[in-house]
Amino acid sequence: MSGANVKMSDTVSLFGGRVPAEVDMLYKHLKNVNRETFTQILRAVVNAIGGQDCCESVREISESGFISEESLNHVMAGLYALLKEALCQPSLKQEVFSDDLRALRFSEELLADLVAVVFGNRQTSMNVSDKHEGPHLAKIEDLKWRVDVAISTSSLSRALQPSILMQMKLSDGCTHQFEVPVAKFQELRYNVSLILKEMNDIEKRSILKIQD
Amino acid sequence: MSSIIPETPSIKAAVTHINSIDNSKFSRLLTRILQKLHLKERSFSQEEEEKLQSALSLERHTLQLLLETVSFILEQAAYHNVKPASLRQQLENICISPQKAEVFSQMWAADAADLLEKIRLGIFAPMKLDRVSWQLNLQMARSDESRLKAPHAVLNLGLRAEDHSERLQDVFLEFSHQDLLDFYNQMETVQTQLDSLA
Repeated sequence: MSGANVKMSDTVSLFGGRVPAEVDMLYKHLKNVNRETFTQILRAVVNAIGGQDCCESVREISESGFISEESLNHVMAGLYALLKEALCQPSLKQEVFSDDLRALRFSEELLADLVAVVFGNRQTSMNVSDKHEGPHLAKIEDLKWRVDVAISTSSLSRALQPSILMQMKLSDGCTHQFEVPVAKFQELRYNVSLILKEMNDIEKRSILKIQD
Repeated sequence: MSSIIPETPSIKAAVTHINSIDNSKFSRLLTRILQKLHLKERSFSQEEEEKLQSALSLERHTLQLLLETVSFILEQAAYHNVKPASLRQQLENICISPQKAEVFSQMWAADAADLLEKIRLGIFAPMKLDRVSWQLNLQMARSDESRLKAPHAVLNLGLRAEDHSERLQDVFLEFSHQDLLDFYNQMETVQTQLDSLA
C-alpha cells in the first residue's frame, strides 16, 4: 500500500472514518485567522449548537473585517460539524480527540481551545438542538379526567357504580378518550408509584457506578 | 310492590311451557341462563339450542319463547333488585307453579349478588383501559444529547373497544422522572375524589 496516498485525515476516528469535506479543509481556512477572531467564531458556534440564536455575533464578526466572508462561512461550517460530532459522543476520550485534531492539522493553540470546549467544565449534558430531537414516543400533553357515578342504567335501576373517564391529549396530536374501571385505576396507580420508586433507586445508586 | 312481570299473552303462553318442564332439567337451564345474563350474547349456541329442543321435546319457536321469557324475568329481577321471597311471590302471581317458583327463588338467593356485580362492572364506554404494562430504561445518550443517564419510563395502556374485540389498542407513552411525578399527582387527585364518594 502506497503510504504517500494515505491522507492524514484517514486516521481520524471521530466521524467513523468518513471525515466531512468542511472539516477536512478547516485547517487551510484557519491559517489566516487570528486568535481573537477564532475565539469569537468558536463562541458563536458553541452557542449555535446549544440552540441559541447567534446571528448578531456572526454579523459582528463578518463586519469586523478580520476575515473574509467566504472564509468565515467555511470556518463556521467546519467548526460546527466538528464540535457537534464531538459533543454528541458520550464516551469520547480527551486523548483520542486531541490525536484526531492533530491529524486534522490543527495548531496546538487551537487544539487546546477546542478541547476546552468539548471537555471543559460542563457538569450536565449539553443540549445540542431542539430541532434534531432523538427518536421518542408520545408524551402526555394534557390529561383531563372526571369521576362519574352511574346511578341507573338500562340493566340496573340502582347501580351506584363509580367510574373514571380520562381524556389524554398526546404530543403527537392523538387524543384518546377511555374509561378506567376503578380496579384498573388502582392497578395503574400502583404501577406508576412502583416505577417512581425504581427511578429513585436508580438515581441514587447507578449514577455512582457508571463512569462518564 | 307492583309487578315486575307484565301479564302479556306471550308471557302467559310461556308460563304454561315453563310449568310443563321437568324440574331438574329446568334448574340446569336456569343456571345456565343466569350465568350468561350479563353478557350481550345469546345464552345458548345454535347447536345447543337444537339439543335443548329435543331434550325438552319442544318446537323451535316454543323454545325461543321460553328462553326469552326466562331471561326477561331474570333481567327484571336484576333491574329492580328484588328479594328472593318477593320474586317467588311475583312468579306465583303470574301462575308459575310453586315448585318452579321455588327453584327460581333459591337460585336467585344464591347467585343474584354475583350477577348484579357483573352487570355493574359492565357499564359501557367506547374504550376501556384493559391492561397496563411498563418498561423502565436508563437513557445513556441520544443523537442530540450526550452523557445523559436519565431514567426513562415507557407505559403501554391497552385499550379495549366496547365490542369486546380480541385486539387491544396500544397507547405508548413515555415519561421522564418529572413527567411521571406530574402524572402521579394527577392520579392522587382522582383518588381523593374516589375516596370522598365512599
